[in-house]
Amino acid sequence: MASPRRRGRARITISLLLLSAVLLLTLDSRGSGPVQSARSVVLSVLSPLGSAAATVVNPFRNAWNSAFDQGNLKNENETLREENDRLKGDVTANSIAKEQLQQLLQLVGIPFVGDTPVVHTRVLSGAVGNFGDRIELDKGSNSGIERNMPVVTGEGLIGKVIEVSENRSVVSLLSSGTYRVGFSVVGTAAIGIAQGSGGDGSLRGTNIDSRQAVTVGAITATSGLAGSPFPPNLPIGTITAVRTNEAALESTVDISMFANLNDLVYADVVLWKPAG
Amino acid sequence: MNNPALRYLIVIATAAVLQYTVVTQFRILGVSADLFLLIAIAAGMIGGAERGAIVGFASGLCLDLMVTTPFGLCSISGLVAGVVAGLLEDATMHSARWLTMVIAFLASSAGILSFAIAGNLLGRPDLLSGHLFTILGIVGVASAALVFPALRACRWAGPEDSLLRAAAR
Repeated sequence: MASPRRRGRARITISLLLLSAVLLLTLDSRGSGPVQSARSVVLSVLSPLGSAAATVVNPFRNAWNSAFDQGNLKNENETLREENDRLKGDVTANSIAKEQLQQLLQLVGIPFVGDTPVVHTRVLSGAVGNFGDRIELDKGSNSGIERNMPVVTGEGLIGKVIEVSENRSVVSLLSSGTYRVGFSVVGTAAIGIAQGSGGDGSLRGTNIDSRQAVTVGAITATSGLAGSPFPPNLPIGTITAVRTNEAALESTVDISMFANLNDLVYADVVLWKPAG
Repeated sequence: MNNPALRYLIVIATAAVLQYTVVTQFRILGVSADLFLLIAIAAGMIGGAERGAIVGFASGLCLDLMVTTPFGLCSISGLVAGVVAGLLEDATMHSARWLTMVIAFLASSAGILSFAIAGNLLGRPDLLSGHLFTILGIVGVASAALVFPALRACRWAGPEDSLLRAAAR
Protein backbone atom coordinates (compact mmCIF):
# COMPACT_ATOMS: atom_id res chain seq x y z
CA MET A 1 0.00 0.00 0.00
CA ALA A 2 1.17 3.54 -0.72
CA SER A 3 2.06 5.76 2.25
CA PRO A 4 -0.48 8.45 3.33
CA ARG A 5 1.98 11.16 2.26
CA ARG A 6 2.32 9.64 -1.20
CA ARG A 7 -1.44 9.23 -1.49
CA GLY A 8 -1.92 12.89 -0.53
CA ARG A 9 0.56 14.03 -3.16
CA ALA A 10 -1.13 11.83 -5.75
CA ARG A 11 -4.51 13.38 -4.96
CA ILE A 12 -3.12 16.89 -5.42
CA THR A 13 -1.46 15.96 -8.71
CA ILE A 14 -4.61 14.32 -10.06
CA SER A 15 -6.75 17.30 -8.98
CA LEU A 16 -4.38 19.75 -10.67
CA LEU A 17 -4.40 17.74 -13.88
CA LEU A 18 -8.19 17.55 -13.86
CA LEU A 19 -8.37 21.31 -13.37
CA SER A 20 -5.95 21.78 -16.27
CA ALA A 21 -8.14 19.62 -18.51
CA VAL A 22 -11.22 21.63 -17.56
CA LEU A 23 -9.29 24.83 -18.29
CA LEU A 24 -8.34 23.50 -21.74
CA LEU A 25 -11.97 22.57 -22.44
CA THR A 26 -13.07 26.06 -21.43
CA LEU A 27 -10.46 27.72 -23.66
CA ASP A 28 -11.47 25.49 -26.57
CA SER A 29 -15.17 26.17 -26.12
CA ARG A 30 -14.40 29.89 -26.41
CA GLY A 31 -12.77 29.27 -29.77
CA SER A 32 -9.17 29.70 -28.72
CA GLY A 33 -7.02 30.19 -31.84
CA PRO A 34 -3.85 28.40 -30.68
CA VAL A 35 -5.68 25.07 -30.48
CA GLN A 36 -6.61 25.16 -34.17
CA SER A 37 -3.10 26.27 -35.09
CA ALA A 38 -1.57 23.46 -33.04
CA ARG A 39 -3.87 20.91 -34.67
CA SER A 40 -2.89 22.18 -38.14
CA VAL A 41 0.81 21.89 -37.27
CA VAL A 42 0.34 18.30 -36.04
CA LEU A 43 -1.56 17.50 -39.24
CA SER A 44 1.23 18.95 -41.38
CA VAL A 45 3.87 16.98 -39.49
CA LEU A 46 2.05 13.65 -39.53
CA SER A 47 0.65 13.85 -43.08
CA PRO A 48 3.82 12.76 -44.90
CA LEU A 49 4.16 9.84 -42.49
CA GLY A 50 0.55 8.91 -43.15
CA SER A 51 1.05 8.97 -46.92
CA ALA A 52 4.12 6.77 -46.71
CA ALA A 53 2.53 4.37 -44.29
CA ALA A 54 -0.67 4.09 -46.34
CA THR A 55 1.29 2.62 -49.24
CA VAL A 56 2.78 -0.07 -47.02
CA VAL A 57 -0.29 -0.75 -44.89
CA ASN A 58 -3.00 -0.77 -47.59
CA PRO A 59 -2.60 -4.42 -48.70
CA PHE A 60 -2.80 -5.56 -45.08
CA ARG A 61 -5.75 -3.26 -44.43
CA ASN A 62 -7.61 -4.66 -47.42
CA ALA A 63 -7.04 -8.20 -46.16
CA TRP A 64 -8.20 -7.15 -42.68
CA ASN A 65 -11.33 -5.48 -44.01
CA SER A 66 -12.27 -8.44 -46.16
CA ALA A 67 -11.76 -10.77 -43.17
CA PHE A 68 -13.90 -8.75 -40.76
CA ASP A 69 -16.46 -7.24 -43.11
CA GLN A 70 -17.23 -10.20 -45.37
CA GLY A 71 -20.47 -11.07 -43.56
CA ASN A 72 -21.56 -7.45 -43.57
CA LEU A 73 -20.71 -7.06 -47.23
CA LYS A 74 -22.76 -10.12 -48.19
CA ASN A 75 -25.76 -8.91 -46.22
CA GLU A 76 -25.36 -5.41 -47.56
CA ASN A 77 -25.07 -6.74 -51.11
CA GLU A 78 -28.27 -8.75 -50.74
CA THR A 79 -30.11 -5.83 -49.20
CA LEU A 80 -28.93 -3.50 -51.93
CA ARG A 81 -29.95 -5.97 -54.66
CA GLU A 82 -33.42 -6.26 -53.16
CA GLU A 83 -33.69 -2.53 -52.81
CA ASN A 84 -32.42 -2.02 -56.33
CA ASP A 85 -35.02 -4.43 -57.74
CA ARG A 86 -37.76 -2.78 -55.75
CA LEU A 87 -36.73 0.70 -56.86
CA LYS A 88 -36.53 -0.40 -60.50
CA GLY A 89 -40.04 -1.79 -60.25
CA ASP A 90 -41.34 1.35 -58.58
CA VAL A 91 -39.70 3.60 -61.11
CA THR A 92 -40.91 1.80 -64.22
CA ALA A 93 -44.42 1.31 -62.84
CA ASN A 94 -44.91 4.88 -61.80
CA SER A 95 -44.26 7.03 -64.80
CA ILE A 96 -45.97 9.97 -63.12
CA ALA A 97 -43.23 10.28 -60.51
CA LYS A 98 -40.79 11.85 -62.94
CA GLU A 99 -39.20 13.97 -60.31
CA GLN A 100 -38.49 10.95 -58.15
CA LEU A 101 -37.19 9.01 -61.12
CA GLN A 102 -34.73 11.75 -61.93
CA GLN A 103 -33.45 11.89 -58.40
CA LEU A 104 -33.14 8.12 -58.13
CA LEU A 105 -31.20 7.97 -61.36
CA GLN A 106 -28.85 10.53 -59.95
CA LEU A 107 -27.98 8.03 -57.25
CA VAL A 108 -26.51 5.65 -59.81
CA GLY A 109 -23.47 7.80 -60.39
CA ILE A 110 -21.77 10.94 -59.25
CA PRO A 111 -23.71 13.36 -61.52
CA PHE A 112 -25.89 14.32 -58.55
CA VAL A 113 -23.52 17.20 -58.07
CA GLY A 114 -24.66 18.48 -61.50
CA ASP A 115 -22.34 20.95 -63.18
CA THR A 116 -20.58 21.85 -59.96
CA PRO A 117 -16.89 20.99 -60.30
CA VAL A 118 -15.42 18.41 -57.94
CA VAL A 119 -11.91 17.51 -56.86
CA HIS A 120 -11.22 13.78 -56.84
CA THR A 121 -9.20 12.80 -53.77
CA ARG A 122 -7.83 9.72 -52.08
CA VAL A 123 -8.54 9.05 -48.42
CA LEU A 124 -5.20 8.96 -46.63
CA SER A 125 -6.33 7.99 -43.19
CA GLY A 126 -9.44 7.45 -41.15
CA ALA A 127 -10.34 8.94 -37.82
CA VAL A 128 -7.48 8.70 -35.34
CA GLY A 129 -9.78 8.37 -32.35
CA ASN A 130 -12.94 6.30 -32.07
CA PHE A 131 -15.27 9.22 -31.44
CA GLY A 132 -14.18 12.23 -33.48
CA ASP A 133 -15.12 11.02 -36.93
CA ARG A 134 -12.87 12.59 -39.47
CA ILE A 135 -10.82 11.50 -42.47
CA GLU A 136 -7.87 13.03 -44.21
CA LEU A 137 -7.73 13.62 -47.98
CA ASP A 138 -4.64 13.90 -50.17
CA LYS A 139 -5.53 17.30 -51.68
CA GLY A 140 -5.91 20.74 -50.21
CA SER A 141 -6.07 24.43 -50.99
CA ASN A 142 -3.75 24.02 -54.00
CA SER A 143 -6.61 22.14 -55.67
CA GLY A 144 -9.18 24.78 -54.77
CA ILE A 145 -10.52 23.08 -51.66
CA GLU A 146 -11.78 25.39 -48.93
CA ARG A 147 -13.27 24.95 -45.49
CA ASN A 148 -16.93 23.89 -45.28
CA MET A 149 -17.06 22.44 -48.79
CA PRO A 150 -19.23 19.28 -49.02
CA VAL A 151 -17.59 15.91 -49.54
CA VAL A 152 -19.31 13.04 -51.37
CA THR A 153 -18.65 9.54 -52.63
CA GLY A 154 -20.46 7.84 -55.49
CA GLU A 155 -23.12 6.87 -52.93
CA GLY A 156 -23.85 10.23 -51.40
CA LEU A 157 -22.87 12.91 -48.92
CA ILE A 158 -20.29 11.93 -46.31
CA GLY A 159 -19.25 15.19 -44.67
CA LYS A 160 -17.64 18.58 -45.01
CA VAL A 161 -14.11 19.95 -45.04
CA ILE A 162 -13.07 21.40 -41.68
CA GLU A 163 -9.32 21.96 -42.07
CA VAL A 164 -7.23 22.69 -45.14
CA SER A 165 -3.51 22.91 -45.70
CA GLU A 166 -1.80 23.25 -49.09
CA ASN A 167 -1.87 19.56 -49.95
CA ARG A 168 -4.14 18.04 -47.33
CA SER A 169 -7.65 18.50 -46.07
CA VAL A 170 -9.53 17.06 -43.14
CA VAL A 171 -13.17 16.07 -43.42
CA SER A 172 -15.56 15.85 -40.51
CA LEU A 173 -17.94 13.00 -41.29
CA LEU A 174 -21.66 13.63 -41.16
CA SER A 175 -22.04 10.78 -38.69
CA SER A 176 -19.89 12.60 -36.13
CA GLY A 177 -22.87 14.62 -34.92
CA THR A 178 -20.82 17.82 -34.73
CA TYR A 179 -23.02 19.66 -37.25
CA ARG A 180 -26.43 19.42 -38.90
CA VAL A 181 -27.67 19.19 -42.46
CA GLY A 182 -31.04 20.23 -43.85
CA PHE A 183 -32.70 17.45 -45.81
CA SER A 184 -35.78 16.83 -47.92
CA VAL A 185 -37.58 13.53 -48.38
CA VAL A 186 -37.57 12.67 -52.09
CA GLY A 187 -41.04 12.58 -53.61
CA THR A 188 -42.64 14.57 -50.77
CA ALA A 189 -42.60 18.14 -49.55
CA ALA A 190 -41.19 17.05 -46.19
CA ILE A 191 -38.05 18.76 -44.97
CA GLY A 192 -36.10 18.39 -41.76
CA ILE A 193 -32.74 18.63 -40.05
CA ALA A 194 -30.43 15.62 -39.77
CA GLN A 195 -27.59 15.08 -37.33
CA GLY A 196 -25.20 12.18 -36.77
CA SER A 197 -25.77 9.98 -33.80
CA GLY A 198 -22.28 8.76 -33.26
CA GLY A 199 -20.09 6.94 -35.70
CA ASP A 200 -22.18 4.07 -37.06
CA GLY A 201 -23.46 5.79 -40.19
CA SER A 202 -26.89 6.53 -38.79
CA LEU A 203 -28.49 9.96 -38.53
CA ARG A 204 -31.42 11.34 -36.63
CA GLY A 205 -33.81 13.58 -38.57
CA THR A 206 -36.00 16.04 -36.68
CA ASN A 207 -38.32 19.01 -37.25
CA ILE A 208 -40.42 17.23 -39.89
CA ASP A 209 -44.02 18.32 -40.29
CA SER A 210 -46.05 15.29 -39.18
CA ARG A 211 -48.73 16.06 -41.80
CA GLN A 212 -46.26 15.06 -44.50
CA ALA A 213 -46.42 11.39 -45.47
CA VAL A 214 -42.94 10.15 -44.62
CA THR A 215 -42.45 6.39 -44.86
CA VAL A 216 -39.74 3.89 -44.06
CA GLY A 217 -37.56 3.31 -47.10
CA ALA A 218 -37.97 6.84 -48.45
CA ILE A 219 -34.83 8.53 -49.74
CA THR A 220 -33.42 11.71 -48.26
CA ALA A 221 -31.25 14.32 -49.95
CA THR A 222 -29.86 17.68 -48.94
CA SER A 223 -32.50 20.38 -49.13
CA GLY A 224 -30.12 23.21 -49.99
CA LEU A 225 -32.45 25.79 -48.51
CA ALA A 226 -31.22 29.36 -48.29
CA GLY A 227 -28.25 29.65 -45.99
CA SER A 228 -27.54 25.92 -46.04
CA PRO A 229 -23.86 25.02 -46.21
CA PHE A 230 -24.74 22.17 -48.62
CA PRO A 231 -26.09 22.36 -52.19
CA PRO A 232 -29.47 20.73 -52.89
CA ASN A 233 -30.02 17.10 -53.99
CA LEU A 234 -26.94 15.41 -52.56
CA PRO A 235 -28.26 11.97 -51.54
CA ILE A 236 -27.91 11.28 -47.81
CA GLY A 237 -29.59 7.96 -47.03
CA THR A 238 -32.80 6.01 -46.56
CA ILE A 239 -35.28 6.38 -43.73
CA THR A 240 -35.26 3.32 -41.48
CA ALA A 241 -37.75 4.41 -38.80
CA VAL A 242 -40.41 7.08 -38.39
CA ARG A 243 -41.80 8.33 -35.07
CA THR A 244 -44.63 10.82 -34.96
CA ASN A 245 -45.53 13.12 -32.10
CA GLU A 246 -49.11 14.09 -32.91
CA ALA A 247 -49.27 16.62 -30.11
CA ALA A 248 -46.25 18.51 -31.39
CA LEU A 249 -47.20 17.94 -35.06
CA GLU A 250 -43.65 16.76 -35.56
CA SER A 251 -42.05 13.57 -36.84
CA THR A 252 -38.54 12.29 -36.20
CA VAL A 253 -36.83 9.75 -38.41
CA ASP A 254 -33.77 7.51 -38.35
CA ILE A 255 -31.69 7.68 -41.51
CA SER A 256 -29.16 5.09 -42.64
CA MET A 257 -26.51 6.78 -44.75
CA PHE A 258 -25.90 5.49 -48.29
CA ALA A 259 -22.14 5.82 -47.99
CA ASN A 260 -20.21 3.16 -46.09
CA LEU A 261 -18.02 5.23 -43.81
CA ASN A 262 -15.96 2.30 -42.59
CA ASP A 263 -14.14 1.68 -45.82
CA LEU A 264 -13.62 4.96 -47.62
CA VAL A 265 -10.92 4.90 -50.29
CA TYR A 266 -11.87 7.79 -52.57
CA ALA A 267 -13.97 10.89 -52.02
CA ASP A 268 -14.91 13.94 -54.07
CA VAL A 269 -14.85 17.45 -52.68
CA VAL A 270 -17.61 19.52 -54.26
CA LEU A 271 -16.24 22.98 -55.02
CA TRP A 272 -19.39 24.67 -53.84
CA LYS A 273 -19.90 27.58 -51.51
CA PRO A 274 -23.21 28.92 -50.27
CA ALA A 275 -24.34 32.06 -52.04
CA GLY A 276 -23.59 35.28 -50.17
CA MET B 1 18.36 9.83 -21.99
CA ASN B 2 17.90 8.45 -18.47
CA ASN B 3 15.23 11.03 -17.74
CA PRO B 4 11.87 9.19 -17.30
CA ALA B 5 9.91 12.22 -18.57
CA LEU B 6 11.92 12.22 -21.80
CA ARG B 7 11.52 8.48 -22.16
CA TYR B 8 7.76 8.69 -21.64
CA LEU B 9 7.65 11.43 -24.27
CA ILE B 10 9.39 9.09 -26.70
CA VAL B 11 6.90 6.33 -25.86
CA ILE B 12 3.93 8.67 -26.39
CA ALA B 13 5.36 10.04 -29.65
CA THR B 14 5.92 6.50 -30.91
CA ALA B 15 2.37 5.59 -29.94
CA ALA B 16 1.09 8.67 -31.79
CA VAL B 17 2.90 7.75 -35.00
CA LEU B 18 1.79 4.11 -34.78
CA GLN B 19 -1.80 5.12 -34.04
CA TYR B 20 -1.90 7.60 -36.92
CA THR B 21 -0.18 5.46 -39.53
CA VAL B 22 -1.04 1.86 -38.72
CA VAL B 23 -3.55 1.22 -35.96
CA THR B 24 -6.36 3.39 -37.36
CA GLN B 25 -6.22 1.42 -40.61
CA PHE B 26 -7.28 -1.76 -38.85
CA ARG B 27 -10.84 -1.41 -37.61
CA ILE B 28 -13.60 -3.73 -36.53
CA LEU B 29 -17.08 -2.22 -36.86
CA GLY B 30 -15.40 1.13 -37.36
CA VAL B 31 -13.45 0.94 -34.10
CA SER B 32 -9.69 0.64 -33.69
CA ALA B 33 -7.39 0.06 -30.71
CA ASP B 34 -6.40 3.15 -28.72
CA LEU B 35 -2.67 3.23 -28.05
CA PHE B 36 -2.88 6.51 -26.13
CA LEU B 37 -5.23 4.95 -23.62
CA LEU B 38 -3.05 1.86 -23.50
CA ILE B 39 0.07 3.83 -22.59
CA ALA B 40 -1.85 5.58 -19.79
CA ILE B 41 -3.06 2.23 -18.47
CA ALA B 42 0.39 0.66 -18.59
CA ALA B 43 1.96 3.66 -16.85
CA GLY B 44 -0.71 3.49 -14.14
CA MET B 45 -0.14 -0.22 -13.61
CA ILE B 46 3.60 0.22 -13.32
CA GLY B 47 3.94 3.56 -11.57
CA GLY B 48 0.66 3.90 -9.66
CA ALA B 49 -2.30 6.23 -9.96
CA GLU B 50 -0.24 9.42 -9.92
CA ARG B 51 2.09 8.28 -12.70
CA GLY B 52 -0.91 6.98 -14.64
CA ALA B 53 -2.63 10.35 -14.30
CA ILE B 54 0.39 12.31 -15.54
CA VAL B 55 1.16 10.02 -18.48
CA GLY B 56 -2.55 9.66 -19.30
CA PHE B 57 -2.99 13.42 -19.31
CA ALA B 58 0.03 13.87 -21.58
CA SER B 59 -0.95 11.12 -24.01
CA GLY B 60 -4.54 12.38 -24.05
CA LEU B 61 -3.27 15.86 -24.84
CA CYS B 62 -1.37 14.41 -27.77
CA LEU B 63 -4.53 12.70 -29.05
CA ASP B 64 -6.47 15.92 -28.51
CA LEU B 65 -4.23 17.50 -31.15
CA MET B 66 -5.19 14.84 -33.67
CA VAL B 67 -8.98 14.73 -33.36
CA THR B 68 -11.83 17.21 -33.66
CA THR B 69 -13.59 16.57 -30.35
CA PRO B 70 -13.37 19.37 -27.74
CA PHE B 71 -9.76 19.98 -26.76
CA GLY B 72 -9.14 18.47 -23.33
CA LEU B 73 -11.64 15.59 -23.53
CA CYS B 74 -9.00 13.02 -24.42
CA SER B 75 -6.80 14.34 -21.61
CA ILE B 76 -9.57 13.59 -19.12
CA SER B 77 -10.07 10.18 -20.66
CA GLY B 78 -6.36 9.29 -20.44
CA LEU B 79 -6.12 10.66 -16.93
CA VAL B 80 -9.07 8.58 -15.72
CA ALA B 81 -7.77 5.42 -17.41
CA GLY B 82 -4.32 5.88 -15.85
CA VAL B 83 -5.72 6.52 -12.37
CA VAL B 84 -8.16 3.60 -12.52
CA ALA B 85 -5.40 1.26 -13.73
CA GLY B 86 -3.15 2.40 -10.87
CA LEU B 87 -5.87 1.99 -8.24
CA LEU B 88 -6.94 -1.42 -9.51
CA GLU B 89 -3.35 -2.61 -9.63
CA ASP B 90 -2.92 -1.38 -6.04
CA ALA B 91 -6.04 -3.26 -4.97
CA THR B 92 -4.91 -6.62 -6.36
CA MET B 93 -3.07 -8.90 -3.96
CA HIS B 94 -1.29 -11.02 -6.55
CA SER B 95 -0.32 -10.62 -10.15
CA ALA B 96 -1.45 -12.89 -12.93
CA ARG B 97 -1.57 -12.38 -16.66
CA TRP B 98 -5.33 -12.70 -16.83
CA LEU B 99 -5.72 -10.19 -13.99
CA THR B 100 -3.49 -7.71 -15.83
CA MET B 101 -5.69 -8.10 -18.90
CA VAL B 102 -8.87 -7.62 -16.88
CA ILE B 103 -7.45 -4.44 -15.32
CA ALA B 104 -6.54 -3.16 -18.80
CA PHE B 105 -10.08 -3.86 -20.00
CA LEU B 106 -11.70 -2.14 -17.01
CA ALA B 107 -9.37 0.86 -17.07
CA SER B 108 -9.92 1.43 -20.79
CA SER B 109 -13.68 1.19 -20.25
CA ALA B 110 -13.42 3.78 -17.47
CA GLY B 111 -11.42 6.08 -19.76
CA ILE B 112 -13.89 5.75 -22.63
CA LEU B 113 -16.91 6.23 -20.37
CA SER B 114 -15.39 9.35 -18.82
CA PHE B 115 -14.80 10.69 -22.33
CA ALA B 116 -18.39 10.06 -23.39
CA ILE B 117 -19.90 11.44 -20.18
CA ALA B 118 -17.72 14.57 -20.17
CA GLY B 119 -18.49 15.07 -23.86
CA ASN B 120 -22.19 14.70 -23.16
CA LEU B 121 -21.95 17.36 -20.44
CA LEU B 122 -20.25 19.63 -22.97
CA GLY B 123 -23.15 19.37 -25.41
CA ARG B 124 -22.16 16.31 -27.44
CA PRO B 125 -25.04 13.87 -26.75
CA ASP B 126 -23.97 11.80 -29.76
CA LEU B 127 -21.02 10.49 -27.74
CA LEU B 128 -23.41 8.54 -25.50
CA SER B 129 -25.03 6.64 -28.37
CA GLY B 130 -25.45 2.89 -28.79
CA HIS B 131 -22.14 2.84 -30.67
CA LEU B 132 -20.46 3.49 -27.31
CA PHE B 133 -20.93 -0.18 -26.31
CA THR B 134 -19.17 -1.30 -29.49
CA ILE B 135 -16.29 1.05 -28.70
CA LEU B 136 -16.14 -0.13 -25.08
CA GLY B 137 -16.00 -3.77 -26.13
CA ILE B 138 -13.52 -3.52 -28.98
CA VAL B 139 -11.14 -1.01 -27.37
CA GLY B 140 -11.32 -2.96 -24.10
CA VAL B 141 -10.41 -6.25 -25.75
CA ALA B 142 -7.67 -4.57 -27.81
CA SER B 143 -6.24 -2.97 -24.65
CA ALA B 144 -6.26 -6.33 -22.87
CA ALA B 145 -4.52 -7.96 -25.81
CA LEU B 146 -1.87 -5.26 -26.23
CA VAL B 147 -1.19 -4.43 -22.59
CA PHE B 148 1.95 -6.54 -22.25
CA PRO B 149 4.00 -4.78 -24.96
CA ALA B 150 2.75 -1.47 -23.51
CA LEU B 151 3.90 -2.52 -20.03
CA ARG B 152 7.31 -3.35 -21.46
CA ALA B 153 7.54 0.09 -23.09
CA CYS B 154 6.56 1.80 -19.84
CA ARG B 155 9.04 -0.27 -17.82
CA TRP B 156 11.72 1.01 -20.18
CA ALA B 157 10.46 4.57 -19.77
CA GLY B 158 10.27 4.48 -15.98
CA PRO B 159 12.53 1.72 -14.67
CA GLU B 160 12.48 3.20 -11.16
CA ASP B 161 8.68 3.14 -11.07
CA SER B 162 8.61 -0.64 -10.94
CA LEU B 163 11.15 -0.75 -8.11
CA LEU B 164 9.46 1.98 -6.07
CA ARG B 165 6.12 0.35 -6.53
CA ALA B 166 7.38 -3.06 -5.50
CA ALA B 167 8.89 -1.48 -2.40
CA ALA B 168 5.70 0.42 -1.59
CA ARG B 169 3.67 -2.79 -1.78
